[in-house]
Amino acid sequence: MTTTILLIIHGLLAVALLGAITHQALSVWWKARKPADSFVGRVRSVPSTSYAGAVVLLYLLTTLLGGIIYPDYRLNVRVVLEQLEMPAANGSFELKEHFAVLGLAMLPAYYYFWRTPLAENYARARAALTLIIAFIVWWNFLVGHILNNIRGFGS
Amino acid sequence: MKPSERLPVFVTVFSVVCSVVYIVSVYKNYALFTYHPAIGQFGAGVEKAGPDGPAMYWYGWIATSAIAGALAGLFACALPRGLAQRVSPGWSWAIPLAGIAVLLYILRNYFLH
Repeated sequence: MTTTILLIIHGLLAVALLGAITHQALSVWWKARKPADSFVGRVRSVPSTSYAGAVVLLYLLTTLLGGIIYPDYRLNVRVVLEQLEMPAANGSFELKEHFAVLGLAMLPAYYYFWRTPLAENYARARAALTLIIAFIVWWNFLVGHILNNIRGFGS
Repeated sequence: MKPSERLPVFVTVFSVVCSVVYIVSVYKNYALFTYHPAIGQFGAGVEKAGPDGPAMYWYGWIATSAIAGALAGLFACALPRGLAQRVSPGWSWAIPLAGIAVLLYILRNYFLH
């Protein structure tokens, strides 16, 4: 029961993180004309600097919760995936855990390069770090969601 | 170096070394400690799975790489300014990006069936 509650919180934090990093990545890589006149335009035209602190906090909390519920996955889910002969699903989770750590490694640099006032000489590093972290967050979110669907919620 | 010059060097070196050491730790299994989830016990270094269940090394790999990254970052901050200025902020994303490619290669057998 505790794991189920933590899994739900883990998922909700991941949704918030997904929204924050996607807003920021879009605003950096696909700048919108202002004033934005459409939904997509408004998604792209957010002030990207305001997301960095939230992204760092949400990433840390989401990874921490993932780490807490990981033993349950190892004992109760991975074994089932192996019995069902689903190596791609297991491999996807392996990538998820490893990508999460690479994201953690980049997080201090990401936060530092997003400090205001933004330094122009860090613009490329800032944009690249945001994009890679966005990729990691999307990968981890989708893999977690799909694996949860395979195993069955709360089973 | 001034503190304001040290921080970008530290975060860049941390990103690079932590990523590289993590991937090497995964590949060679250099876990600082092992967790046995079935019995809820930790063990120092790499311990094999026992009859009670599997062994988890992920936490140990994180510890190994985080410590190595932090130590390397501190060491880089102590370098003379001329050397430290050669640390490009681009490394902070290029090396982890290369790490993603390496991980995909290492784990390719999961997907090639």
